[in-house]
Amino acid sequence: MNYVIELILKLAKVDRRWIFLVIGLVVLIPLMYPLSLPIRAGKDSQQVYDFVESLEPNSKILLSVEYGPSTKPEIHPMVTSLLRHVFSLKRGHKVYVTCLWADGQFMAEEALEEVAANEYGLTYGEDYVLLGFRPGAEAVVKGIVSDLRKVFTIDSRGTKLEEIPMMKGINKFEDFDFLFSGSAGYPGTTEWVLFASDPTGVPMSTGTTSIIVNEMMPYVLGGQIQGILAGMPGAAEYEKLIGIKGVGTSGMDAQSAAHFVIVIFIFLGNLGYFIERKRSKRHQG
Amino acid sequence: MDILGAWIAVFLTLAIFSFLYKDNPFYKIAEHLFVGVSAGYWMSFNFWTQIQPNLFGRLWPSKHYSEDSAWYGLYDMFGFAAASIFPEGGIDMGHDMHLIYLLPMALGFMMLLSIYKPLNWMARWGIAYTVGMAAGLRAYGILNSNVLGQVKNTIIPVIGTDLPFFSLTGDSYFNNLVILVGTVTGLLYFYFSREQTGTFGKVTKVGIYFLMISFGASFGFAVMGRISLLIGRLLDLIKYSGSEFHHASIWVLVAMVLLLGYSAYQEKESAS
Repeated sequence: MNYVIELILKLAKVDRRWIFLVIGLVVLIPLMYPLSLPIRAGKDSQQVYDFVESLEPNSKILLSVEYGPSTKPEIHPMVTSLLRHVFSLKRGHKVYVTCLWADGQFMAEEALEEVAANEYGLTYGEDYVLLGFRPGAEAVVKGIVSDLRKVFTIDSRGTKLEEIPMMKGINKFEDFDFLFSGSAGYPGTTEWVLFASDPTGVPMSTGTTSIIVNEMMPYVLGGQIQGILAGMPGAAEYEKLIGIKGVGTSGMDAQSAAHFVIVIFIFLGNLGYFIERKRSKRHQG
Repeated sequence: MDILGAWIAVFLTLAIFSFLYKDNPFYKIAEHLFVGVSAGYWMSFNFWTQIQPNLFGRLWPSKHYSEDSAWYGLYDMFGFAAASIFPEGGIDMGHDMHLIYLLPMALGFMMLLSIYKPLNWMARWGIAYTVGMAAGLRAYGILNSNVLGQVKNTIIPVIGTDLPFFSLTGDSYFNNLVILVGTVTGLLYFYFSREQTGTFGKVTKVGIYFLMISFGASFGFAVMGRISLLIGRLLDLIKYSGSEFHHASIWVLVAMVLLLGYSAYQEKESAS
């Protein structure tokens, strides 16, 4: 028993670099040799999926891209999965993409190139359009709500909006049927709720980084947002729902393994702390 | 070009990761590169996607171009100095002429004057405008969605409907009670006009527990987010370790470990 206690105390004081190494290996190994752990769609991911399924034919979907390379592993799989879902329905939905983040434009270009152009062979300007980035955060959202054409006169390729066929009849936020915000922070989902979706009543869903999920949950529970894809698990769940595996699914084995090891470290750290405290009290007594 | 890009990406990723071992020259190189490239990149990006098309494009749009106009005479003078920014015949970005944009341009210049001490007070005007505009813009949204909307969402039935008492996935009386108790006790914890003792103290303590559970959930999500980012980088490293990239990840990792190991050995030698 004493040996076990000494071992726990030793582990509780281990050099943190060993912990980094263990976490690194625990993440790396399942990525190289997948465990294929089962994935079950949660209520919030299912709600996003159901909402997209319920859209009327020829719906106009606004996709707002608010992430960059640093948060790409979490949000990009959601955005590509959502595009796959929308286009695979073959109901004539049109996708309009805006970016509140400057580097979001590159993420959007990549996602549209991969899914819309390469996988589904869709036509730019008729099935999808990338309006691009505009600076100003909530001011841009407000601008889109009141008069989109004042904010965007050209798309990301420099084509005037009046020359883009699918822009006909699109003048303000209320002309869209659904908004999906792929968001990694400010400006992002919160600004869309505050300045666009809530005041106009246009329904929206979101996919966010894990870190901001807690901030978004009150909006989801209150019905202000129709479901949420929460971090990488959300992406994996959506991939499961549409039946096309991607980065989200492959990352979940590593994610689960890492969480398991972190829980063990937290448990051992706390155990060591309490044993140490008990010992020092005994010495003092 | 792809191969060179892969080698650079691998080097920079591993250089940043090397900080987990200790501060070292690889990390410093990556850090300084990041800061410098980011500053230059964003400046150029913002100029060519915003200032040129959206500011100059509104001041000198091509649709109103006239050689006889003094305003476009000024434009032509600028164009003589920088033809790529002020192309011949005005800027064609689909805008109408909006001379009101001279105002934000002036405020922008005033903000730049913060580096010139005798006139740095002028920068405050630009900042004041930005702060005032942002505060005014956010006030309504926050009041409507975060205050009224959330209060409305807290008014939920705890009796008298056909909801089940308990449900793990859907609405239930139990879940509604948790929301009600959590909201009320959490709010009471932030009521500082009365000492938190006795019954009131016990109630606010319940509020603290709710807050702690919320912080715990936030911490869990934060960990999950960081691991996701690590997964993203490792997926790229795995991809770049393939033969099509000449095993970039493996070679860079080996070289870096050897050099850091040699450096640690040298340090140990000189210390002894």
